[in-house]
Amino acid sequence: MSVPLSQMWAVASYVIRQRLAGRTRYPLVLMLEPLFRCNLACAGCGKIQYPAQILKKHLTVEQCLGAVDECGAPVVSIPGGEPLMYPEIGRLVSELVARKKYVYLCTNALLLKERLTAGVFEPSKYLSFSIHMDGLRAEHDEAVCREGVYDDAVEAIREALRRGFRVTTNTTLFEGANPLRTREFFDAMMDLGVEGMMISPGYSYAKAPDQEHFLRRQRANELFSRILADPKRRWKFNQSPLFLQFLMGTRDFECTPWGNPTYNIFGWQRPCYLLQEGYAATFKELLETTRWERYGKKSGNEKCRDCMVHCGYEPTAVNHTFASWRGFRDTVTATVTGRL
Amino acid sequence: MSDTESPEGWVPAIGHGVTLEEVVERAFDYRGNVTVVKADGTRLEGYVFNRNRDVEVPFIQVFDRAGAGPLDIPYADIRTILFTGKDTAAGNSYAAWLRAKEASQQRLGTPLPPGA
Repeated sequence: MSVPLSQMWAVASYVIRQRLAGRTRYPLVLMLEPLFRCNLACAGCGKIQYPAQILKKHLTVEQCLGAVDECGAPVVSIPGGEPLMYPEIGRLVSELVARKKYVYLCTNALLLKERLTAGVFEPSKYLSFSIHMDGLRAEHDEAVCREGVYDDAVEAIREALRRGFRVTTNTTLFEGANPLRTREFFDAMMDLGVEGMMISPGYSYAKAPDQEHFLRRQRANELFSRILADPKRRWKFNQSPLFLQFLMGTRDFECTPWGNPTYNIFGWQRPCYLLQEGYAATFKELLETTRWERYGKKSGNEKCRDCMVHCGYEPTAVNHTFASWRGFRDTVTATVTGRL
Repeated sequence: MSDTESPEGWVPAIGHGVTLEEVVERAFDYRGNVTVVKADGTRLEGYVFNRNRDVEVPFIQVFDRAGAGPLDIPYADIRTILFTGKDTAAGNSYAAWLRAKEASQQRLGTPLPPGA
């Protein structure tokens, strides 16, 4: 595991406080989408298909901070869209760091080197660039539909590391991913010196529906079992080992859709980062009026049936760690031994 | 109209085989601008990003063509909704992406898993 101790402690103490307060629904990671604009148009992405006036809009820093304060999660992930296109990204990150929020800035890294050179960001233990990398050069460039993006991202990673920033990668795996190539990719990222990697199966967005080719649970379990079998000690994952075990099918979890709530120009998205079934004006309204029983595998909702994405299941894994001594022991054991 | 077919260009007449609630749901799901025709005959072109039926006065929320909003419009004030804008999600389906991916994988010589 590669999550720094201070971050682990911040999350652990937050979860314990929530449990002691008797809260059953609480957020762990705020997914803050300041804009939908992007400088890539990946064919499998369902996040950026909007009319021009929507793509031109973005949240103000004050709206972002209001959402952060309202939500209270200890970790803020900034996806999008491409957050480095957000005109006030430097000020936003600086304000979040001042609030001691652990920030994951999720970027395709095309603008990263330029932003770093311009001094937009300061290194901090609270800030990590989470670079979108869907595999080695051939796989990544194909996934993002543009040649050369992998090389640009690698160069930006090197530059960020050289400047003392925390750098992680986030990788989405779809049907057809090659386990051996994926293992080689993990080696390549570790060679680069990234702090840790995040992996997740892809989700078939409502705007890209094809259940025939969805990475179904059993296939996902088989794929991740092959990828993560006998994991190398040098591989560091910036996520719960229990979530990785869930991906491999050795552990079963139910979704925690309120664990990673999403805020964007439309408001608080119901019910989760992936499904868009409406918006609430406040976080309180989201928690109190969303029909949570309609979501998750147990609900029978076909949109949730095969979903194994981190935004719903990583919070479950984290909660499980603190729900019992056994969960805690399993997490510590996997963390210390590196065995999954 | 099937659930998977893009409603781009659709001019629904409420009461003729389709309810207002159904049209609102399609408009909410639509990734393009629409034209909301109000009961008084006025029109508003924009993007319907939200709707709420579970309140005393059900409403839709719209960012207009210039990006102003959100503008709340009660269901009761809507005569119909015309799907006048381009469907920005059309032609970008997972199936289309997967077909391109499979073709690319075959070019690279990467084997596809059984059943793919």
